Amino acid sequence: MKHTFSEEHARFLKKRRLRLCLIWSLRIGLLALLLGLWELVTACGWVDPFLMSSPSRIAKTIVTLYRENNLLYHVGVTLFETVVGFAIAVTLGCGIALLLWWSDTLRSVLEPYIVVLNALPKIALGPLIIIWCGTGSKAIIFMTVLVGIIVAILHMLSAFIATDKNKILLLRSMGARKTQILRKLVIPSSLAAFISMLKVAVGMAWIGSIMGEYIVSKAGLGYLIVYGGQVFKLDLVMSATFLLCALAAGMYFLVVLLEKILVKNAES
Amino acid sequence: MNKQILAFHDVSLIYHTVRGETTAAKNLTFSVGEGEFVAIIGPSGCGKTTLLSLAAGLLKPSAGEVESHGSFGYMLQKDELFPWRTIEKNIYLPLEIKRKNTAQNRAQARELAVKYGLGDFLQSYPPQLSGGMRQRAALIRTLASDPDILLLDEPFSALDYQTRLNVTSDVSGIIRGEGKTALLITHDISEAISLADRVLVLTKRPARVAFTHTMDFAQNDPLKRREAHGFSGWFEILWKELNE
Repeated sequence: MKHTFSEEHARFLKKRRLRLCLIWSLRIGLLALLLGLWELVTACGWVDPFLMSSPSRIAKTIVTLYRENNLLYHVGVTLFETVVGFAIAVTLGCGIALLLWWSDTLRSVLEPYIVVLNALPKIALGPLIIIWCGTGSKAIIFMTVLVGIIVAILHMLSAFIATDKNKILLLRSMGARKTQILRKLVIPSSLAAFISMLKVAVGMAWIGSIMGEYIVSKAGLGYLIVYGGQVFKLDLVMSATFLLCALAAGMYFLVVLLEKILVKNAES
Repeated sequence: MNKQILAFHDVSLIYHTVRGETTAAKNLTFSVGEGEFVAIIGPSGCGKTTLLSLAAGLLKPSAGEVESHGSFGYMLQKDELFPWRTIEKNIYLPLEIKRKNTAQNRAQARELAVKYGLGDFLQSYPPQLSGGMRQRAALIRTLASDPDILLLDEPFSALDYQTRLNVTSDVSGIIRGEGKTALLITHDISEAISLADRVLVLTKRPARVAFTHTMDFAQNDPLKRREAHGFSGWFEILWKELNE
């Protein structure tokens, strides 16, 4: 569709475009500035690169890791644990939230347990998890699920409960059964909450998997960070952290992409 | 009078909360005949909405009996259209719920929508429509399952004044055009006078029917009734009775 706009509107659009350009240049500029300063202060020896590492050393470490052929292995292990833990936490969380929505009695009975589990620092369960699940990926996935699931349950439950009472009344006046109210109203009206829960759950999954790897692991980015710290290889710690940032951002943007697709589908 | 389609016999309802109990209605008796348009007005907080829930069978009376012959369609204060469904899909909702979602019933509902001016909006989403159009869509949704009696719970009170007058006229035309029975609950005296064949005045809680009046207008169009000679007379009578 091609419209002809007034000159004022053209100016308005141009101003908007300029502002967007400005924001993005400032974003990238800020990153370049920080990296540049970091490189500068370490290269000039104002701070010890042994303690602070530096962008160039991080790049070199990542290349070395890649050449020695275990970079992808470590990334793969962590990614696998995170994604599997995330998927289990989200699926189980939604399922349990549905059950709690369905039965007021069950919800009232379980409420104090959920509140306590939510408040409990999951890392305290570390030793138990090692004993129960061993020292492999299983333990780390378990930890990831544990960290994510309560948030998923609480988030979805509050969305289900917040379903418009008048719309429920309307459906009931049509003679709807509870399964119909669930399918026609509660689930579709919770779509936005589901997306925002996914965004929170992505963060939780990374916390869970890295925490799990800190406690017990033989591979993964969390393992590299702990190992690097123990042998005082700060380059390794920084490199793994950098990769973690990139992966977490990537996963978040996948959720944003999913949001765009789901919202589009819901409207067509 | 025609065959009774809905009747309350000595109906009482008690609400229970932790703090105590409230008698919302006591010995409520009235009936609605087939094809009749009955309006119920009452002081605020007299349990008007409770009365509709009783009529629709969503609440069971504590004592007495609600007798009904036929199916219900409920229309609420707000349109309550589902924003993720098109107008067309919204109108099919009662068919889906009642498992009457056949091609024939859908075609009938569609026809109704087209007949009453929603044809161009079937593929639109509710937020794209004006308040008046949305309320009209809500009425067509209510009519889609071909109910025998319409329960209207202040369906115009969320609209601005000008839209309200137009939509009231629309809705009245549609309901009378389809020959439906309707029970309207409202706090708006002029709305009751302009729409109904019969107006019931409720008392304060516990609600009971204090007065019944048959409207004696020559025409049924609400806008014409508002201009009619007897309108202000009825308003005065009902106003007094409401404040007693």
